[in-house]
Amino acid sequence: MFLTRSEYDRGVSTFSPEGRLFQVEYSLEAIKLGSTAIGICTSEGVILGVEKRVTSPLLESDSVEKIMEVEKHVGCAMSGLTADARSLIDHARVTSVQHDLYYHEPIGIETLTQSICDLALRFGEGASGEKRLMSRPFGVALLVAGYDDQKGPQLYHAEPSGTFYRYDAKAIGSGSEGAQAELQNEYHKSLTLKDAELLALKVLKQVMEEKLDNKNAQMASVTKEGGFRIYSEEELAEIIEKLKEKEKEEGSDDEKDKAGEEEGEDVD
Amino acid sequence: MVGLSFDNYQRNQYLVNQAGFKAPKATSTGTTIVGCQFKGGVVIAADTRATTGPIVADKNCEKLHRIAPKIWCAGAGTAADTEMVTQLIQSNLELHSMYMNREPRVISAMQMLKQHLFKYQGYVGAYLIVAGVDPTGPHLFSIQAHGSTDIGYYMSLGSGSLAAIAVLERDWKEDLSREEAMKLCATAIQAGIFNDLGSGSNVDLCVMETGKDAQLYRNYLTPNVREQKQKNYRFARGTTAVLSKSVFDLVDVIKEEEIVVGTDAMDVDL
Amino acid sequence: MQAQNTLLNTEYSTDAQTEPIEHRFNPYQDNGGTILGIAGEDFAVLAGDTRQTVGYSIDSRYEPKVHDVGDNLLLSANGFSADGVQLVKVFQNQLKWYHFDNNKEMAVSSAARLIQHMLYRKRMFPYYVATILAGLDEEGKGAIYSFDPVGSYEREQCRAGGAAASLIMPFLDNQVNFKNQMDPESNGTKRRPLKYLSLEEVIQLVRDAFTSATERHIEVGDGLQILIVTKDGVRSEYFPLKKD
Repeated sequence: MFLTRSEYDRGVSTFSPEGRLFQVEYSLEAIKLGSTAIGICTSEGVILGVEKRVTSPLLESDSVEKIMEVEKHVGCAMSGLTADARSLIDHARVTSVQHDLYYHEPIGIETLTQSICDLALRFGEGASGEKRLMSRPFGVALLVAGYDDQKGPQLYHAEPSGTFYRYDAKAIGSGSEGAQAELQNEYHKSLTLKDAELLALKVLKQVMEEKLDNKNAQMASVTKEGGFRIYSEEELAEIIEKLKEKEKEEGSDDEKDKAGEEEGEDVD
Repeated sequence: MVGLSFDNYQRNQYLVNQAGFKAPKATSTGTTIVGCQFKGGVVIAADTRATTGPIVADKNCEKLHRIAPKIWCAGAGTAADTEMVTQLIQSNLELHSMYMNREPRVISAMQMLKQHLFKYQGYVGAYLIVAGVDPTGPHLFSIQAHGSTDIGYYMSLGSGSLAAIAVLERDWKEDLSREEAMKLCATAIQAGIFNDLGSGSNVDLCVMETGKDAQLYRNYLTPNVREQKQKNYRFARGTTAVLSKSVFDLVDVIKEEEIVVGTDAMDVDL
Repeated sequence: MQAQNTLLNTEYSTDAQTEPIEHRFNPYQDNGGTILGIAGEDFAVLAGDTRQTVGYSIDSRYEPKVHDVGDNLLLSANGFSADGVQLVKVFQNQLKWYHFDNNKEMAVSSAARLIQHMLYRKRMFPYYVATILAGLDEEGKGAIYSFDPVGSYEREQCRAGGAAASLIMPFLDNQVNFKNQMDPESNGTKRRPLKYLSLEEVIQLVRDAFTSATERHIEVGDGLQILIVTKDGVRSEYFPLKKD
């Protein structure tokens, strides 16, 4: 990919002769440097789980915010340049509040994700004369989790390229390759919300360099009844405990998992 | 007291301009009236709608007024003015005819009306079609509120005058028969009824023929009969709220001692 | 100034109008007509006469002003007809975009909120219309929303708008919401209990309201258009009215 270095990676809206927009592709690389974030969609609701990189023992861990509320019924997990996510989430908040104002109903999750992606493309000029807003594409990807009456619980992945897809389960960030493979193995349609909590932490644990605890991870859920909710450290500790018990019960399977995990790390 | 009183003019101007009151709206006959001569006579006709603003005040009012037995007048404009001015001239014309010991003439009625209206500079809002027969033959005139008059074989006045004159211009010809003239006037009024919002309901018509009594055809045509209502809106007994109940004795009933009738009264014999 | 001299010298002398009247362009017009909406248990009707007027003239005897705007919604904006037509067109355009953006039908409550914003946007140069929206709510019950020209709105069981609104509304209060009616059984001591009217009864009331308004309001007449919305869609009926 980077073998043919040329001046075509300068302008954000200039295609290379091979038909590539380098700046956009680089922005996707920035996400691969970010901490891992996982989303799992079940029939009962959506779970978001993120790794927080607590780089110093002096760092106040709850000041690292990688899951944010957009509206009562929508939340977001991010990976990449998290500062960039501020503008995206601000935009999403404005859009959803505006929808509520104009239509007196909660905005659809797909509609909201689309509006986020509309902003993601504003590093160029719009087709109908919209001003260019940013000098470069965003360096952050979002997992948008939400519930609406039309489609129930939903999970979307939104990229700086302006594309978005709906997923049953998705991992982004540095550990995404291993995590996505694991999610693909473990995911099934009859997963409960509790199952999804454990699965999210299990997968996070596997791909994290540090040992998972309730300070370096964060979790949230979106359900029809409770809307979006970030778990407290206590709740998270409970789930981690449950995960440990489960792993012990499964015993031999656990050993196999460990081996797999080690293998995965080697590849990385 | 002679004439109209303007005592409250300035006060009323103050009420409208400064004190925020609305000037009262007079009932307007926002009308279609027509007149048309025929061989040996003249016909006038009118619709029967009276309005206050956009509201129909009377669905079947009379706009054909008698000035003399054989002189009739159709009025448009302010309802009260057309009625009052007509009554006034009716009285004065009768006095005049008695004084002169002659049948009243249509031209006299017209002259009296225009002089009266001119005196009031248009503030008496009567627009009239005066017609009749007198010893000099049949006549047809129109009078504007400011006092100007016109003579013609056919004419229309009021808010529906344009619709009516269109019909008159299309169908009028010289030496119409009595029946033709009646039909023409009725058709012209109907044009007003259906095409002018100020006019509506029925057609009234009056025929004045030389040597005959004038004939008034009240509701000559009724092309706007209301259809039956879908529902019956009679309220069941007991629908009205009873808020309180009190019974009054309209007469004080005083219990009196028995009156003993004198014995001599019994003696009376008839 | 000359007029001043002819006035009597009274305490009101200065109040008589002596200044010339200022004339200027008036962008609005009153096109008369009346609309009426009634909600039932599982239906709603929106009706309007088809006469369009200016002053004492009839512009059209058949200009329908109740619109099936899609998504099982009925909309009518009565008053200045140009504004009414514009409002309905802008709404239909907005509805199209709503479909593109949200991939679903617009709920009647959402449509009502949207119309509020469309009206309030023109707060300083309003659409000169009385607006009524009809449809079915999320539970399938009939819904009527009524708006003032600048967007104040309310959900109601019934509402009349336009020229003869003041003639029809008291009739509706009495016949739909049973105002001033006591239960005959109670001999005038208990209020007559509310109940949903059947579609047949509602259409009878609408027809009687319009024939009565036609009798007493010069701008109402010619034809009556009734649109009925049920879960099966929108149906239209037409009845002639008096033409005088």
